[in-house]
Amino acid sequence: MPQIDPTKPRFWRSVEDFTSGADRPKAAHGYPELVGREFPVGATEIDGATRRDFLKLVGLTAAGTMAAGCMRNPPERILPYVRQPADIRPGIPLHYATSTSLGGYGIGLLVTSREGRPIKVEGNPDHPASFGASGTFEQALAYGVYDPQRGKHVKRKGELSGWKSFKADVISRLEAAKADNGKKILFLDGPTASPFDGWLRKQVGKTLPEAKFVTFTSVDRDAVFDGTELAFGQRLETRFDFDKARVVLALDDDFLESGPDRLVHARDFARHRVPAPDGAEGAASLGGDDAKTRPSAGEWMNRLYVAECAYSVTGGQADHRLRVRGSDIICLAAALYARLVPDGAADVAALAAPYKDSKWVAAVAKDLSSRGAQAVVTVGTRQPAEVHALAAAINATLKSEVVEYGRPLLLDTKSGSSTLKDIVAQANAGQIDTLVITAWNPVYAAPSDIAFADALTKIPNVVYYGQFEDETSVHAHWFIPAAHDLESWGDSTSIDGTVAIQQPLIAPLFDGVQRGELFGAFAGMPDSTAHELLREAHSQTSADMTANGGFEPWWERVLQKGVLSPTPPDTITPTLQTAKIGERLRPFKFERIEGIEINYVVDNKVHDGRYGDNAWLQELPEPLTKVVWGNVGMISPAMAEKNGLAAEEIVKLTVDGRTIEVPLFVLPGHAEDSISLAIGYGRTGGEAIARGVGSNANALRTTSAPWFGSRATLAKTGKSDRLGITQEHWAMEGRPIALTAELADVKRKHLPMVEEQNGPQPSMMDEWPNTSPEGYRWAMAIDMAKCTGCNACILACESENNILIVGKDQVRRGREMHWLRVDRYFEEVDGSLADAKVVVQPMACVQCEKAPCEYVCPVNATVHSDEGLNDMVYNRCVGTRYCANNCPYKVRRFNYLNWHNSLQGTYEMKMNPDVTVRARGVMEKCTYCVQRIEQARIATRTENHGVGRVIRDGEVVTACQQSCASGAISFGSLHDPKSEVSKKHADERAYAVLWELNTRPRTRHLAKVRNPNPELA
Amino acid sequence: MSAAAAHTPVPEHLREAPLIEGPQSDRTLTDSILHPVWRDPGRGWWMALAVTSTFLGILVLCIAYLLLTGVGVWGNNSPVFWAFDIINFVWWVGIGHAGTLISAILLLFQQGWRTSINRFAEAMTLFAVICAAIYPGLHTGRPWFAAYWLVPIPNTMDIWPNFKSPLVWDVFAISTYFTVSLLFWYVGLIPDLATLRDASVSRTRRLVYGFFSLGWRGSARHWYNWKWAYLLLAGISTPLVLSVHTIVSFDFATSIIPGWHTTIFPPYFVAGAVFSGFAMVLSLLIPARHFMGLKHVLTMRHIDNMCKIILVTGWMVTFGYICEYFADWYSGSIYEVGQILVRMLGPYAWSFWLLVFCNCIVANLFWFRSMRRNLWVVWIVAALVNVGMWLERFVIIVVSLHRDFMPASWGMYYPTIIDIGMITGTMGLFGTAFLVFLKFVPAVALAEVKELRYETELQLQHAEEAH
Repeated sequence: MPQIDPTKPRFWRSVEDFTSGADRPKAAHGYPELVGREFPVGATEIDGATRRDFLKLVGLTAAGTMAAGCMRNPPERILPYVRQPADIRPGIPLHYATSTSLGGYGIGLLVTSREGRPIKVEGNPDHPASFGASGTFEQALAYGVYDPQRGKHVKRKGELSGWKSFKADVISRLEAAKADNGKKILFLDGPTASPFDGWLRKQVGKTLPEAKFVTFTSVDRDAVFDGTELAFGQRLETRFDFDKARVVLALDDDFLESGPDRLVHARDFARHRVPAPDGAEGAASLGGDDAKTRPSAGEWMNRLYVAECAYSVTGGQADHRLRVRGSDIICLAAALYARLVPDGAADVAALAAPYKDSKWVAAVAKDLSSRGAQAVVTVGTRQPAEVHALAAAINATLKSEVVEYGRPLLLDTKSGSSTLKDIVAQANAGQIDTLVITAWNPVYAAPSDIAFADALTKIPNVVYYGQFEDETSVHAHWFIPAAHDLESWGDSTSIDGTVAIQQPLIAPLFDGVQRGELFGAFAGMPDSTAHELLREAHSQTSADMTANGGFEPWWERVLQKGVLSPTPPDTITPTLQTAKIGERLRPFKFERIEGIEINYVVDNKVHDGRYGDNAWLQELPEPLTKVVWGNVGMISPAMAEKNGLAAEEIVKLTVDGRTIEVPLFVLPGHAEDSISLAIGYGRTGGEAIARGVGSNANALRTTSAPWFGSRATLAKTGKSDRLGITQEHWAMEGRPIALTAELADVKRKHLPMVEEQNGPQPSMMDEWPNTSPEGYRWAMAIDMAKCTGCNACILACESENNILIVGKDQVRRGREMHWLRVDRYFEEVDGSLADAKVVVQPMACVQCEKAPCEYVCPVNATVHSDEGLNDMVYNRCVGTRYCANNCPYKVRRFNYLNWHNSLQGTYEMKMNPDVTVRARGVMEKCTYCVQRIEQARIATRTENHGVGRVIRDGEVVTACQQSCASGAISFGSLHDPKSEVSKKHADERAYAVLWELNTRPRTRHLAKVRNPNPELA
Repeated sequence: MSAAAAHTPVPEHLREAPLIEGPQSDRTLTDSILHPVWRDPGRGWWMALAVTSTFLGILVLCIAYLLLTGVGVWGNNSPVFWAFDIINFVWWVGIGHAGTLISAILLLFQQGWRTSINRFAEAMTLFAVICAAIYPGLHTGRPWFAAYWLVPIPNTMDIWPNFKSPLVWDVFAISTYFTVSLLFWYVGLIPDLATLRDASVSRTRRLVYGFFSLGWRGSARHWYNWKWAYLLLAGISTPLVLSVHTIVSFDFATSIIPGWHTTIFPPYFVAGAVFSGFAMVLSLLIPARHFMGLKHVLTMRHIDNMCKIILVTGWMVTFGYICEYFADWYSGSIYEVGQILVRMLGPYAWSFWLLVFCNCIVANLFWFRSMRRNLWVVWIVAALVNVGMWLERFVIIVVSLHRDFMPASWGMYYPTIIDIGMITGTMGLFGTAFLVFLKFVPAVALAEVKELRYETELQLQHAEEAH
């Protein structure tokens, strides 16, 4: 540790601050020059720089912020979730409740902080939208906050400036704008439902009554609101309660993996994805004697129909999946509408024609109507309002209890590209003086037919507030670095109306400005901190506040819990206007797009591109293609064959004269005559990680066909790109590895495949001696019926266990480090891959009792613990890799190079101090989160006046288990027959993967269950 | 030998060719065998040394880069955690086997023809084992620990190596093998070193050769002790011929990977090792006897005999393959059968079929005497056998690993430039060591050849007297 003189400033709040300081340390000589020149307009320095140079830059700039060590507590007082800050003891993690939002809707978080550094993000159990679970985007926040690429300084026209200078500029402009009430000031924000944002807008409105707020995102939910407007005459929020659903039809809707309520959807849907309820309610299960009292398995398990173009995570769960082009969905919906909604047939006759006699539609319609209130049709946000209206009408006709409507929570329910069109028009007309952009990167996200960047040149003062110096910042007069969600005060509203507080875990690492402070400056409160503003925004007396004894006690309680007392969501029962729908749809005619239709999808990893600089997400395998670091043009096997195309071949994709080049991927189950491409790649901003990864689909998208509906032509380029794919082989080769069963067979207990992978295993060797004093036998169960393959567990594991990223080139060489991988197999249907089914199987070290890895290690670096864990002794490992060769599950990961070398500066703060950071040349693998087991042991050992007690079931939760929204993973000790994992191991679907090898894995998998409709069999 | 047989004249083509050609005396033998040591090495030797030492330099650079960067500079990945590193290791160890076989087993069986080639083959063994020994250490992720953690050195941590691991057995097997081979080679060299000492003209040479000849004076007592020592070492070496490659094969046979988990491995690894070892001896001997003027002691009969051994061991190896694949198929295990199919039809099928060609087909040319006597054919076949044996290890290691149990973890392996640099580099090391050997010590065991001459002449005398 460097010696720090307490009389001297330990941080430089800005570069002005630093450069003007008389006490500038000699060691940092050359620092201001470097900082000043880093990432200028166009970020030219990065262009020609090698990766090494770039890392040097990062290291240098980070050095300034790192100089003072690790403790970066925010200046204001925040309160821990369970313990008071006074209790801070080194080595004892604290958990703080906070929240984040995506697409405007909030998700509650519980962040683990070690010595002032947030290192792990979990869902907040008290928050209804996360209930303790989390998804990939939430997990990745822990990387995002330390991303050394983030914008570090306020800049004016690319030159270094400061927050104070910006505020002074705002004050002078506000003076000038008072004359016309701020008529020429426009705020372009992302979608938000935050009450704090609403309050801030009001405050801005007080000083600038005519200033306007508009919203833009390239992945908007406008169609949902437009659809309800068409169906019910009012713009409504649509919510689904899949706990009540037994038959679900998802029309191009990836409801398990996208949208504001995806975690809740995954949980509720998975609850009914098994033949009988879990836990206490399922104690009688299928094997119970009292057949009368147990729930009927057929009724408990749901059935999912999906119609979509490219395979989605939800599509992978489908019992029946219809692959159709994106533009066909409206016909499909119309055909269902014609069958299900009384008197509807005539109105949609033209549209429904292509699917009028479809067997699939007939069977689905029959199944939906037979389930009535327990059936539901959901529609994805990519589909136009008309499809949403048709589905709303069907749901209303079915009297579906699954769907629920409420008042819109978003401050603005219009956030599509029309917003940008208006801005361009106004800018060209000279009606905008100041444009404040807080929306994410509109220059990149704008459809190709909107010249948004050009319009910005016509605005005298463009302020861009963003986390990165990206495509938009180079066109802005002012760049204000945004503080990260884990660095900011704020709040959020989840889709069910729950308000959660966002509290900072760490002071902004790179001079980031909090959102509240930015709007505060425009509201004439330039000197208020975001914390003060937030408190003021919530200072309105409520019943809850009075009950808690006034503001301060109430506020402390809110900070601890992370959520304001939940108010029951207001539910609206709207009236269906079939006539209006008919009126709108009658003139519609279906015109099939000849040739190849292009289909854009939201990326599971970088979303619309905003997470492009997050290396964790970039290196996450896309759930279906398993491609990392980039997007691919997905086509069906038949189309590839017909056109003589092959995977990894680069094609030129032309839409309306605009062209990009993209490598192909042949994806089974993809619709014919269409090519799918994820948005969010091909970035050209200053973010070193995001830059140049993949191809930019936004360069092809247009306002009229934002998701599908335009014709594309493919031309061979003769080039190819070796993709980074973590799973090269899709077929199971007839091996009993990821087992599936049909519901009917589970019910009649006909599971020959599972039985073959079970049973006694005679051995010549001694049995594993259980010498643990308490008798713990740690074990895991993974229910493949519940697993959607969403990848949250992979990132949770990566975050918890300090797993390092390796980059595309190393993934190509097969050296990715994820301890937990999710294997995805395609199953041929009728000997063809056209309608292939998907089964996903999470696979990490299964902790064999008779482990093949252990006996081959020459140095005893992998040994068995008395509790049955297959322990890795990193310090002892010399890296012969024999263990990995002999592992039949291939779950061991080797540090072929010093991956840690590439992580410098701030990222080191992310490391979990409970887990060794593995050196080059060392083998590593899943440990069942042994550090969490030890934490529980330490905690229980001192209880009962030092006597200690046994760790109870559920007290040790592994990182993967904690994140899993669908509850597919159970962990515990087999010595307790009542533990959840013991019950799962006893389940008749449970089996040991590669049972015949007699490795006795402690992780058992439960066969996936499918619930097909006999009529479609 | 019955009297009747002795009286029947043996037809010319069935008569055994002599092991030493032409009229030779001790003097002529000493002169011709020591000639390469005394004479100026000549341009050919220097040029060859330039080539091999260039590759040796490449090896040094590759090793430096490897140590500084990590084993990631190779193409090894997941699932192919072992690749060129272990292939080369097994290949080089295998090559070494011919030397021990010739020195020890053929000595015990009193095969006279071994005498002219044993020095040569023993040297080859030593250098091949040195080349092999580079890999097990360097292939580990942290060689600076592997260097001594695999050895049972008592330590304060009370941690021993895991004696269940075949890699620990390897350490013992290889180190024993190297030590015994070195001793055997050196003990055999002592009388010749003394001859060199006595024939030296410069003082330095006299001192150096004198030091290494350990005061050899050629007394009857010396010869008596030396004979016993040599015989004892031969006895000790004999089980090593079998044990070393058996233990190397345990690296694979004790694992559970389809294609590795096979009980046939020990015998067929040993047969394969002798197969490749003799091929390597031939590859080196044919040019060496030509350029060094040793055709009168390294005769066509030697070459003919070695070709026959290649033919026999080739069939032993082929039989091993047949047994292995039969057992895989007969097991009914989908993983084992899958492994056969992937070898024959998978992405690396070329390596399997090339191996079948090189190891099972080409050597059958040696059924024909004319082919065994055509040096070009012999040399090409020997080279192909070495390629085939390298491919055999490629198939066993890379092909087995690249598709094992779980299809989701299957993956391809591609070598990097460093992988290529390491294999060519070890060949450079081998070649350099060999050239230095040819220059500084007699490549043919002089004392033993002289002894052989006396013995054969004695036999002839006896035969004539009986006649």
